[in-house]
Amino acid sequence: MLNKLALSGIKHRIRDYSVLFSGLMIASAIFYMFMSLATNKSFLNSNSPASATSFIFGFGIVLLAIITIVYINYANTFLLSMRQKEYGMFMMLGAKSSKISRMIFIETFAIGAISTLIGTALGILATGFVSKWIISALDMQVKHFNSFYLPALLSTFVFFVVIFMFSAIKNSMSLRRSKVLTLLNRDSQPVKIKRNGVLKAVQAVLGLVLLALGYLSMWYIGQNPGFIMIGIPIALVTIVGGTYFTINSFVTAFIVMLKHNTKYSQKGLNNFTLSQLSFRINDYTKILSMVSIMFALALGAITVGLGFNNQIDNVVNGQNYYDVQLTNPDAAQQKRLKGLNIEKKNIYNFKVDKTNVYYKTSEFKKQPLGYAQIDTKTMISKQQITADPSKNDNAKFELMNTRMPDQRGKVVKFVNTQEFNAINAPTTTTVLVKTNSFKNNLAEIKSISKAEVKRYPVLKNAGADKYSAYTMINGFFSGLEFMGFFLGIAFLAMLASCLMFKILSGANGDVKRYNMLYKIGTQQKVLRATINKEIGVLFSVPAILGIVHVLLGLQMFNKILYKPYANIEIPFAIFIVLYLGYYFVTRYLYKKIVLK
Amino acid sequence: MQKIVDVQNIEKIYGKAGEKQFKALSDVNFEVKPGEFVGIMGASGSGKTTLLNILSTLDTPTSGRVEIAGQDITKLKNNEMADFRSNKIGFIFQDFNLLENLTAYENIALPLALQNKPAKAIKPAVMNISEKLGLTEILNHYPTELSGGQKQRVAAARALVHEPSIVFGDEPTGALDSKSARALMDTLTKINREDNVSILLVTHDPFSASFCDRILFIKDGEIGQELKKEDHSRAEYYQEILDSLGTFAE
Repeated sequence: MLNKLALSGIKHRIRDYSVLFSGLMIASAIFYMFMSLATNKSFLNSNSPASATSFIFGFGIVLLAIITIVYINYANTFLLSMRQKEYGMFMMLGAKSSKISRMIFIETFAIGAISTLIGTALGILATGFVSKWIISALDMQVKHFNSFYLPALLSTFVFFVVIFMFSAIKNSMSLRRSKVLTLLNRDSQPVKIKRNGVLKAVQAVLGLVLLALGYLSMWYIGQNPGFIMIGIPIALVTIVGGTYFTINSFVTAFIVMLKHNTKYSQKGLNNFTLSQLSFRINDYTKILSMVSIMFALALGAITVGLGFNNQIDNVVNGQNYYDVQLTNPDAAQQKRLKGLNIEKKNIYNFKVDKTNVYYKTSEFKKQPLGYAQIDTKTMISKQQITADPSKNDNAKFELMNTRMPDQRGKVVKFVNTQEFNAINAPTTTTVLVKTNSFKNNLAEIKSISKAEVKRYPVLKNAGADKYSAYTMINGFFSGLEFMGFFLGIAFLAMLASCLMFKILSGANGDVKRYNMLYKIGTQQKVLRATINKEIGVLFSVPAILGIVHVLLGLQMFNKILYKPYANIEIPFAIFIVLYLGYYFVTRYLYKKIVLK
Repeated sequence: MQKIVDVQNIEKIYGKAGEKQFKALSDVNFEVKPGEFVGIMGASGSGKTTLLNILSTLDTPTSGRVEIAGQDITKLKNNEMADFRSNKIGFIFQDFNLLENLTAYENIALPLALQNKPAKAIKPAVMNISEKLGLTEILNHYPTELSGGQKQRVAAARALVHEPSIVFGDEPTGALDSKSARALMDTLTKINREDNVSILLVTHDPFSASFCDRILFIKDGEIGQELKKEDHSRAEYYQEILDSLGTFAE
């Protein structure tokens, strides 16, 4: 009988439960999305150059786990607050508390299990969809990635089952301990707020100091990449703490300041909005700091991901000095060269015997050979020229790659013209061209490279020209870019849903306030504007802090990325548009609940 | 003399045509003159809340005409209704309906802020009404720090601060202890006498009703009986109300 009653209770609150269910489903879907990347070792290894990647992902898992636990814990409180009155009533009517605590245990666990099952299924779909979208939108090559990945599925299940087990135990214990009267009346017990100026001032100072420490350590990582293993944990702790204290002190102080400005505050509903906000910020500090950290991580991931894309040009230029290399060009190839915007064109002749390759020293004196270099630690590429390649290994390497594959292993000799002429072998001519920009001439360079492969099929799998390097590097960085985008979008979805459900779960308490304002004669238009403002502030506080975190946090990539701040407006714009979408959905749903 | 409230033949039917309908009010007629203190009494479900909702433009009658301060409120559009409420009507609710995240001062100032009165004009008005209601000491407190009686006086101040044409009270003493209830009714009476504010009170409590000049009894959606205080003392009037309730209920 009681079970039947409990079930009918769920039916009556279907809207609240659908908020709860969708929140939990999104949490498990995102967890799965993340795990499908993070636990896929073959994907990570084949797509990332640095051993740090799996370390960073390890941190990502810990962070996401903490966030998920916080989120579920808060969803669980929401569930308990929804049910306690009803369970209190059952107890008042004589139900044993052991029976009640068993019921809430089963209910919590069942909700968790169902939402995890549906959520992971959604996660598999979302992973497939998002990965396809990113790959096609950015023209990427991604290997070893599959939207269905069993280890990820299993770890998601285990994680959520454990958390819900704990939540269920916690709920049943808390119901067993509470008195019937407390359960029945908890809603109407007022929340008192504490005001402590000294504490706030200490928090403000502490917040700024912690943030400064965090930013400093990220900058230091940028200067000394070896510091990463200590620097990232330091930055994580200090920035999380600093964000919390800053929101708790500065934002509140700002609101109080606005309240004191009577010209502003005593106009229309401004005072009401400010008061709502200052109460909210007290209640929301934790979630707002969490959201701003996640905002920074997500935006950072997308920015760095796109940063790797910008990197391609830099790395490619570090592979080859010349954009085009031709062996004994025919008329057709010569004609194609005319389509390029040529900056420099070098022509060298060489002869080959069984063991050696011979070049004329004088040709290099007349046209010094260019060669490219890349510092693998700093990822900064350099281009230089030399008139005497015999003493320069980098130049010799560059020269080697301009020959056919079967001639690359031979010993290079630089000889004078007389000796060169004395060698009884056919002369091969190499034409090397540097354009004003590899990127801008890409289409022509591609067609020349393809034509060259047609003429010399051995080059198909052994092409050493810049275009071949480009295809390879593009594929490689695409993997990193993909990770960045994927993580960014997963985190964004998580943080925005967290904020959305937190705001919506408080909406029921606001119904009465807005109803009263309506009764004393506030126009609907004014009420709507108030809601927009209030939710707008709740969304923008973490966004602003998150953006500051990213801007300063990019210092971390100073040595890994060529120019971490290049084209930064693109990822920011993408991110903000998606985030705004969440804002509009939230305020729409909120109004549906609050305004009659 | 001009009437503050003029209700003519109003009728309120719930439920659509063709479905099961319920008549909450039928052919209700009455008026309130400026400076009058009128009570409407009736049991639960008698239609008194429906009547109050219609008078305060929160609900519309199915038919009939309601004029408040010379304006036909049944013809108002949504925004006009809101403006009408914020300018012409003051409300005192049973459960106070104060905003617990605003101080007493801010709660009282709310109707003026809603009318976009300049901050300079707001302060004297709030101080003035607070003094009358004895609230000056607690203006910086939040509702949770106030007693029930204090909360209701703050609510009364909020209902009066913008000098409305009429104040509607919906069981204003319903959540108060007897001492606070008495204090509130004394205050309302004083304001009614001294400032000539018209008050319409909906209640089922005979004690509160005994402070009114005139009481309308409502039963099953119809106004049945009217009781005037005239020269009676409050104690006599209270007894009379009890007697009427006894016969009216049958």
